[in-house]
Amino acid sequence: MGLLNTIMGRTKPVQANLDALFGIPSAAITLQSAAGMTLSGRAGVCYKPPTGQGFGDMQAEVMKLLDMEGDCKLRTAEDKFGYHWVVVENPDIESLVTQIHLINSSLSDSGWGPQLLCSVFGVATLPDGGPPSDAGAPPGPTTVLTSTGFLVYLFKRGTFYPFVPDGPEHRNTEQELKLKSLVANDLAIEADLDRWFPLWELPVG
Amino acid sequence: MTTASRIPPDRGLTLRMFSTGLMLVVLYGAVVGLLIAFGISYVAVLVIAAILLFCQYWFSDKIALFGMGGRIVTPEQAPQLHGVIDRLCALADMKKPRVAIADTDVPNAFATGRSPNSAVVCATAGLMRRLDEPELEAVLAHELSHVAHRDVAVMTIASFLGVVAGLITRIMFWTGMMGGFGGGNNNSNDGGDNAALVELAVLAVSVVVYAISFLLTRALSRYRELAADRSGALLTGQPSALASALVKITGEMSRIPTRDLRSAEAFNAFFFTPAISSKGGVSLSTIFSTHPSLEKRLDQLAKIEAELGSPA
Repeated sequence: MGLLNTIMGRTKPVQANLDALFGIPSAAITLQSAAGMTLSGRAGVCYKPPTGQGFGDMQAEVMKLLDMEGDCKLRTAEDKFGYHWVVVENPDIESLVTQIHLINSSLSDSGWGPQLLCSVFGVATLPDGGPPSDAGAPPGPTTVLTSTGFLVYLFKRGTFYPFVPDGPEHRNTEQELKLKSLVANDLAIEADLDRWFPLWELPVG
Repeated sequence: MTTASRIPPDRGLTLRMFSTGLMLVVLYGAVVGLLIAFGISYVAVLVIAAILLFCQYWFSDKIALFGMGGRIVTPEQAPQLHGVIDRLCALADMKKPRVAIADTDVPNAFATGRSPNSAVVCATAGLMRRLDEPELEAVLAHELSHVAHRDVAVMTIASFLGVVAGLITRIMFWTGMMGGFGGGNNNSNDGGDNAALVELAVLAVSVVVYAISFLLTRALSRYRELAADRSGALLTGQPSALASALVKITGEMSRIPTRDLRSAEAFNAFFFTPAISSKGGVSLSTIFSTHPSLEKRLDQLAKIEAELGSPA
């Protein structure tokens, strides 16, 4: 198939792989128990909006669907590379992941999977600096926190990589590697370091 | 692949490309057959041509970069360019090529390198100055499609026959000039005449083969360009951005005096739009050119735009 496509000068648009997203809640538990960190409760989906009314309609529909769920704050943004972001704020990690998955699957079910770039989950340090005494409590913060680092999910690869910016156009590689080793058992980590591309000024915050 | 793509494949383009390739293969077979039939050993010529093309193929990235004065840039030196390419590669799930900038004001971009692993995508300073964000992204998506389609390898293989025929023609001329046709002095007169006839025939055949393979490779090159336009437009989902970049660059390209651009001519096959645009003699110039006409490219992009816009 690869050779044939080369001869014919074709590339197949790559479809998105969404299943690995559900590894996020268990990664949140690991982060909390091992490092006093947690998911910040903010997450975003990034995609390249294609031209035309068809996509616009679908996008509006997804936003309406999410609004009906009610327990989250929604925001859209556009970055300087012309990519669209839907940012969701929800301290309940399980339902945050479900909502992010909903956005993604709506896009890919209506045939726009190739336009999906990545999903980003914010990571924050717990304010009290340690795991809560109540071990049975669901993972995640009680309120939405400010993210200090991010877990980026690459749809086309089905893998995650950490991204920790510190300052304009500078990333904290040490923190990224630490974050990586923390979640390596829960999430598939992108092995090719070339693909850990930076997302400066990402609107997830 | 569970979900089918929204965009139907362009069967016409596929068919045209396939038939062009088929004709090249047939021509290749015919030449080899003729060589065997004539009983002439041109193994040496074939080997020389193979070595030449292998070098061109193997060092394509270095040759093209050197020729255009391009230099590899790091993400720190060109964060914006790298950012655009990072994202496009993640969208297309391909390995990120090296990124280069050429300090020339000719607005153009090219992709080179024998395989996606050694690929380089180069944009000129003039291109980045003239195009806005979405247009630059569209041009880079076009170049990345060339990398994904392995166009350097395909065009190198396709041009093999032309190079062989050109070499034979040149060697024939050269030996003919030096010693006269059939000037093997230690042969008998009879044998000499025969050899002269054979050599004339070989010369004639290689000229014809050269001409045909030249036209075929040019046709193939045009189809590869259209294919890259198509894949690039589908990758960004914004065919109109590529169309406006094309209009902008083509306009600029023909306005710049031709003489300043001579040095860039040899690289036309790898360029985004050819450096020298031919205005007159439409019918003849179109079959000789490496790139399809602006009209044809815009037509195709308009069609993709309509397909993307239609509701699911």
